[in-house]
Amino acid sequence: MFGFIAADLRRHWAGALAVVLIIAFATALGVVVTLQERALRLGSARAAQAFDLVVGAPGSETQLVLSAVFLQAAPLPLMDGEVLAGLIADPRVAYAAPVGFGDFYERQPIVGTTQALLDGLGGLASGRPFARLDEAVIGAGVALREGDAIKPQHGLAEEGGHVHTGAAYRVVGRMKPTGTPWDRALLVPIEAVWRVHGQHAEDHEGHDHEGHAHEGHNHDVGDGDTHDHAEPAPVRASEHADGDRDHDEADGLDTAIDPAAAADPHAPGVPAILVKPRTIADAYKLRQAYRSDHTLAVFPAEVLTRLYGTLGDARLVLGAVAAGAQALVGAAILLVVILHIGQRRRQIGALRAFGAPRLSVFAIVWLEAFALIAAGLVAGFGLGFVAARALSAILAGMSGVPLPVEFTGSDLSRFALLLAISALIAAVPALSAYRQSPAAALRS
Amino acid sequence: MTLASAPEPAPTALALRGVEVRFPGLERPALSVPALDLAPGEHVALTGPSGSGKTTLLNIVTGMERPDTGAVLWDGVDIARLSEGGRDRWRAGHVGLVMQDFHLFPGLSARDNVLLPQRLARFRLPSGAAAEAARLLDRVGIARHDQHIETLSRGQMQRVAVARALAAHPRIIIADEPTASLDDASGAAVSDLLLELAHEAAATLIVATHDPRLVGRLGRTLRLDAGLVKE
Repeated sequence: MFGFIAADLRRHWAGALAVVLIIAFATALGVVVTLQERALRLGSARAAQAFDLVVGAPGSETQLVLSAVFLQAAPLPLMDGEVLAGLIADPRVAYAAPVGFGDFYERQPIVGTTQALLDGLGGLASGRPFARLDEAVIGAGVALREGDAIKPQHGLAEEGGHVHTGAAYRVVGRMKPTGTPWDRALLVPIEAVWRVHGQHAEDHEGHDHEGHAHEGHNHDVGDGDTHDHAEPAPVRASEHADGDRDHDEADGLDTAIDPAAAADPHAPGVPAILVKPRTIADAYKLRQAYRSDHTLAVFPAEVLTRLYGTLGDARLVLGAVAAGAQALVGAAILLVVILHIGQRRRQIGALRAFGAPRLSVFAIVWLEAFALIAAGLVAGFGLGFVAARALSAILAGMSGVPLPVEFTGSDLSRFALLLAISALIAAVPALSAYRQSPAAALRS
Repeated sequence: MTLASAPEPAPTALALRGVEVRFPGLERPALSVPALDLAPGEHVALTGPSGSGKTTLLNIVTGMERPDTGAVLWDGVDIARLSEGGRDRWRAGHVGLVMQDFHLFPGLSARDNVLLPQRLARFRLPSGAAAEAARLLDRVGIARHDQHIETLSRGQMQRVAVARALAAHPRIIIADEPTASLDDASGAAVSDLLLELAHEAAATLIVATHDPRLVGRLGRTLRLDAGLVKE
């Protein structure tokens, strides 16, 4: 019986292949929608897990989370320095770290923060933390080496950003992987961001670092001679002498970090603060305390849940489209199979005439149809998985958020359900073959 | 005058009694056979113009169709009273079929074609079936048993079909225009094989045919006209 089925499939291999491929593509469509939505949800949830509470200036909660957790550049209003100082001093807070953005190296964000966040994100894999204002720690996914020098660019180049000609950082350490967009960030001292952007001078004149200005031009950052320079290349700080443009950005970075600077209530403002509360109760109290006219406190998980609601709606629409496509394909396949059986009327009649029992005829037709559909389903799940993986890789490359593509138990039950439906569909032509009279088939 | 004992009734392989087949919308029956007996091992030609009921009669005696009335007794078994599945089983066990356009299955070898009916009917081949298939293929002059059927000539195809008809040791061989789609030489070869093999197997042979040379070689001729059998 199997030999007979195999012979028929071999004879019609092109048609059989087309049927399998069409089913596979239709199935893959649905699988990709499911897997990709799940990957987005899992990936963003895991990325947000490292961040319990985000405090920012009043504005959009979603934008605050997108900026502080997912490092999506957006102009955020600043909070007064005393907010950070207050949080650092708060006994309910395990650590509070500022997040200052604005600069990029290539497409990777340069984020100003403090030692507390380096520790809070899991610490360093190699090298050492930044100790001076011109030192940087890179995320696990940044394609630089310790010793490389980087020149920050204000804003993204395609958005009209410009290079801070006066400032440069030297990579001194690399973070452990965190599975968050921070893996592609370059972390620098918050004070350096203040200085490069002139906030220091504007907002906080008379601070004791002021005296160090203009001292930083002749430091030799890294061993630039041995590098292959990508564009914009890591530069040797000694090559840029044309400071004092746009901002007071030639402000010297050749100085040690002041550990107390961030805790200074007179420090310049920051757009966002990542807060690690000591307990869950503290987290809720802090969120309550910092929801005021001056500040906004959000749990990233809470904001994500709202986003997932939207995402879920989109998935429903896409899922419905995919299901519609699958139903159409199912109907088309059924038609093809029934036509094929029609063409085989004489053959099936002959089988009966030679004494094949009706059950054999049913089994032959059913097995052949089911084998084709099942092969298409299996191929479709595989194809969908591969496609979702590829899509995730591209999205992860753009966003820095790893998007895990994985099957779960619900996929297994969906696969089983689809198989069961296929078994029923395959029974339609099998039944029509079963009911055929051998004599009638031979007469036609 | 001695009282002669009643004559021993001649043994019959097939006995039709009061068989009638009607098709809807037709006033006269398509087939009407009040009584017909065939002796075991008898070779019978079935002739008549198309539409005279030849195919209907063949379908009735092979159990592919059931008459509206009457009995179809093969060795005393009324196949008209068997269920559809029962008739399938009976046919698989007793009848070898040869048809005008072969009904061989492309994609399968000559050997697999010969064995296919037994495979489908029993799921497992009876022991000796493969050897018998090989013997029959050699007997009908097919040298390469694993040759795919669609690469054979039409004459060779019909010889494979003859081998298939005999593979399960049937008591009855039914051939429907076995030579009609062959050239003269191939038709003659197939006719020879049918007669020889039916004789060797001691099977009852019924051949529906227009081929006068074949009719002449069969022992008895039944002529069908408008559904009625005439000797």
